[in-house]
Amino acid sequence: MAPQYGGASAKAAEMNSLSDVGSGLLERTKGRKLFRVGSVDIPFLMLTMIILGIGLIMVLSASFARAYYETGNPTKYFVKQLLFSGAGVIAMLAISRVELSFISRFSFPLLGVSIILLAIVPIIGVSKGDATRWIDLKVTTFQPSELAKLAVILSFASLSCKTKEKMKTFRYGILPFGIILAVIVGLLMLEPHISASIIIIAIGAIMMFLGGAEIKWFVMLGVFVGAAGALILAKFGYAIDRIKIWQDPFSDPLGKGFQIIQSLYAIGSGGLLGVGLGQSRQKYLYLPEEHNDYIFSIVCEELGYIGAILILTLFALLIIRGFWIAMHAKNRYSTMVAAGLTALLFLQVFFNVAVVTNLIPCTGISLPFFSYGGTALMLQLAEMGIVLGISREIPIKRAG
Amino acid sequence: MAAEKKKAEQKANTQILRRTLFLLVVCGILAFIVMAAHLYKVQVRDHEYYEQKAIEQQLRQTTISASRGTIYDANMKVLAMSASVETVYISPAELKMYKEDPEFIARNLSSILGVGYDDIMKKWQDTGSWYKTVAVKIEQDVADKVRKFKNDNKIKSVHLETDTKRYYPYSSLASQVLGFVGTENTGLEGIESRYNDYLKGTSGRIVRAATSNGTDMLYTKFENYVDAKNGNSVVLTIDSNIQYYLEKHIEQAIKDYAILNGGMGIVMNVKTGAVLGMATLENYNPNNYKEISQKAKEKLAGKTGDDYLKALSEAQISQWRNRAISDTYEPGSTFKTFTLAIALEEGLVNEKSNFYCGGTVSVPGRDTPVHCWKSAGHGNQTLAEAVQHSCNVAFVNIGLKIGAKKFYDYMDAFGFFDRSGIDLYGEGESLWWDKGVFENPKNLSQLAAASFGQTFNITPLQLITGVSCVANGGKLMKPYVVSKILDPAGNVIKANEPKMERQVISEETSKKVCAILETVVNGGESTGANAYVAGYRIAGKTATSEKIGQGSNDYIVSFVGIAPADDPQIAVLVILDTPDPKTGIYISGGIMAAPAVGKIFADVLPYIGVEPVYSEKELATINATVPYVKNMSVDEASKQLKDKGFDVRVVGSGATVTDQIPAANITVIKGTQVIIYAGDAKPSSMVSVPNLYRKTYSQAKSALEAAGLYMRTSGVAASSSSTIVVSNQSVSSGSSVPLGTVVEVTLIQSDTSVMETRG
Repeated sequence: MAPQYGGASAKAAEMNSLSDVGSGLLERTKGRKLFRVGSVDIPFLMLTMIILGIGLIMVLSASFARAYYETGNPTKYFVKQLLFSGAGVIAMLAISRVELSFISRFSFPLLGVSIILLAIVPIIGVSKGDATRWIDLKVTTFQPSELAKLAVILSFASLSCKTKEKMKTFRYGILPFGIILAVIVGLLMLEPHISASIIIIAIGAIMMFLGGAEIKWFVMLGVFVGAAGALILAKFGYAIDRIKIWQDPFSDPLGKGFQIIQSLYAIGSGGLLGVGLGQSRQKYLYLPEEHNDYIFSIVCEELGYIGAILILTLFALLIIRGFWIAMHAKNRYSTMVAAGLTALLFLQVFFNVAVVTNLIPCTGISLPFFSYGGTALMLQLAEMGIVLGISREIPIKRAG
Repeated sequence: MAAEKKKAEQKANTQILRRTLFLLVVCGILAFIVMAAHLYKVQVRDHEYYEQKAIEQQLRQTTISASRGTIYDANMKVLAMSASVETVYISPAELKMYKEDPEFIARNLSSILGVGYDDIMKKWQDTGSWYKTVAVKIEQDVADKVRKFKNDNKIKSVHLETDTKRYYPYSSLASQVLGFVGTENTGLEGIESRYNDYLKGTSGRIVRAATSNGTDMLYTKFENYVDAKNGNSVVLTIDSNIQYYLEKHIEQAIKDYAILNGGMGIVMNVKTGAVLGMATLENYNPNNYKEISQKAKEKLAGKTGDDYLKALSEAQISQWRNRAISDTYEPGSTFKTFTLAIALEEGLVNEKSNFYCGGTVSVPGRDTPVHCWKSAGHGNQTLAEAVQHSCNVAFVNIGLKIGAKKFYDYMDAFGFFDRSGIDLYGEGESLWWDKGVFENPKNLSQLAAASFGQTFNITPLQLITGVSCVANGGKLMKPYVVSKILDPAGNVIKANEPKMERQVISEETSKKVCAILETVVNGGESTGANAYVAGYRIAGKTATSEKIGQGSNDYIVSFVGIAPADDPQIAVLVILDTPDPKTGIYISGGIMAAPAVGKIFADVLPYIGVEPVYSEKELATINATVPYVKNMSVDEASKQLKDKGFDVRVVGSGATVTDQIPAANITVIKGTQVIIYAGDAKPSSMVSVPNLYRKTYSQAKSALEAAGLYMRTSGVAASSSSTIVVSNQSVSSGSSVPLGTVVEVTLIQSDTSVMETRG
């Protein structure tokens, strides 16, 4: 498959956009290059919608019991999630119409806003447990770290596209990115928010990797992180609660190990075929966060290994399609944004599944399209909108 | 330049595509393979482990307690039963959840249950708890009040739970036989313990899936209900009436003779080995089994801390002990029954055998001769006289005739070496000389002592089981207290049939022994005279034995009786432990235990349907019941009274009887003069009761008649013998009573010269 860079077939794309709603309106504005024409990538859209639909059903199932016992209204969380997803889909489709070059103008302002918000979160934010990560928007809450992830992708793409071949140098290819990441991670540590820090560092590294940074830096970083990690493990290892619980959740079954044990009970109870949709018993106030971070455990319990694998396969297909779109994007910037957003999606899915199955030590990461949370879902869909927008630039290959 | 730039750009483009493809493979494929593999491990490979663990926490089990079976006496009277009671508990967690008013609830519960308000308020403070007990084992009516309060005010944080409580309607009756039930529906003593497996039933359970808060899951129907199976009921051979007579008369004897360590008694059906009554006094109330007697409490006075707790626990354990089967004692002369039976069975003696007692007899292997309890000796005696006198010298000689080996074998045959196997726990183990020691031909002192019941220990149960064997024609029966077991619907699921262990002596010998033992009671001048009951043929044997290892003043006195002597049906054993020597009453089984056994027979024999047959001499002095003659014509009344054997005196001149003295249904001695009033008013004056103590039958009768009172007798046959005197009167002397009141007197044989001491 040859790369299709350049606006080679803008006309062809235009011709194929007839099916798009409101294309007439778009034709009037297309001269300003603000709105896109062309067809979105149907597989990517369909996968997104299917996953979103399953996610919504699972929010209903998982949140039902807690909503009933704690608020008396069993569909409270579901209805809220449904409204946000409706708004999110509209936002996704709208954003898919917006020219990436227009969005790219907001890369650095978005980064600035993110950093400011992260800086004020510890002061004005609301706390849950020991952490202060949320800004109260009255109707819902909002995590600036979510916005920071998007800002990192957009700004790193812009930056590396400007830097180009100088990416190979430390001064241009590593240092500026490193400084941005250091600032963000530093602010996240004030909340504190380890999982977001890990995701930000990972997505930052992926963007630098895509941007053309030398492999040796990654090797050096890998060796450094590996050595430091091994050292910390060897020296403190079991003294670090998180590690201790990870290796043996039953060492504190009613305390720090409680959540992961309950998660394993849920997943293990599911077996191959699951207990059936809506039939989870672990959701009856045993498993904390059953409709948020740990919703995948309920999925496993109710739908079994087969259901879980099916959902993971849908995610895998979505991710593969996202990278496919990136590879076919019209320019370097589009490729980087599409690949970055897809990589972000992957990181969220991977860390979430790895955490709830105790593959890695426990931390709080939500599962895209599944976990309850209005703003996160809307942002997620908006990001998908950006990828869909990029997919509009890809000309449809004619048969023959 | 441009070409170079384009080349570099192309190179960069190729690089980004390669790197994207790399990410595609790593993120889209490899990572998912890792996730799928790990998920497989947790979800499929370890499925059973985690599922099991999850189910353990998700399922809640509620126990439904089974109702414990009933214990019935032989007439299906309830001796022990279970009734539902309830437990009230509160749930501070729900109080918080439903925002209920703790003070309001505490105030109301406190007034309904009588539990401290502050105590309840304290329990509310544990806000994480779902279960705090407020009151246990409350009765149904109180529980209903709590339920009403809960419903009226729609309170969700107060709950009730059903439990059972054990009741013993006759309180202390047969307490050591019945035992009691501890917590968790477990019988701890007596029948409750021995038959616990039958009585307890199987508790049922409700298993259901619950939320972590313990509430029901929504729309998840997982419930498994296993019904409770109520316990089976146990029917005893013990008859509560017989038990009552047994306890009453032993209690009276304990009071009358200042018995320091209580008493024991057994009534046995000699033909079956069924225990009709079994008593240990003092007893306790199984409804409140931890409560000790006043006497025991006095002993605890002054003790504190651990000493107090230890002493309290000892007192409790001692009051729960069924001494009639658990204690062992030296039986003494009652055991001569067996020596007699063996000698007759082996043909070594017969009714015509003569025995001389000069007060002592020497025994091979003994430095000093054996003394008879009567140091002067009994002189020349027939076999029956030797038994009546309870002559030790005669019995040593009989024992020596039998020989150690034969004697020892018979002891085994009568079951004195083994536990009887009665269906109760805690049977004591007898204590005997080793075969080698006992049968040592060079030293026959053990044999000599055993011949009159000394130097070994057996349980009261073993003795009466052996006596029953001697009485019933020689069959050793296995004693038992449970006749059958009924399922909750009342069907018999198990019945205890009488079980014969072996034939020990012949029927003929049995008859001979009974006949000789009857002379011990009806001889008038013999040791057992005080067990006499007019109209009944009673055989028996006394015993007075020194307590081994204690001060020489401590004795156990006992009497074992068999009746009717010509066709034995029941045997009664009464043992009194340590009469207080300070009372001055002559310490002897014949004086103390025999009257008690006589009274028990007097009550039990008519009760079990044995008709009295009076001798002519008895007919003159027996008691009769005054009929109701009021409103009859004077002639008719006179005729009825005369037919019953009463004298009649008419006061007044009316044609109909207006009143009578004594009143109807009162039992007095036959031949008593009944006064009927025909028109004249009955005098209502009060008279003083005379002192009758130590008066003979006729002296007492005339003293009472002189005072305008009537006499009724119990105890030994009323006779003109100067040694038969009043030992007790039912109305104490000096009391003021209405004219015509009946005073019951107890007559005893007071001739202590015929009453053995040790032996």
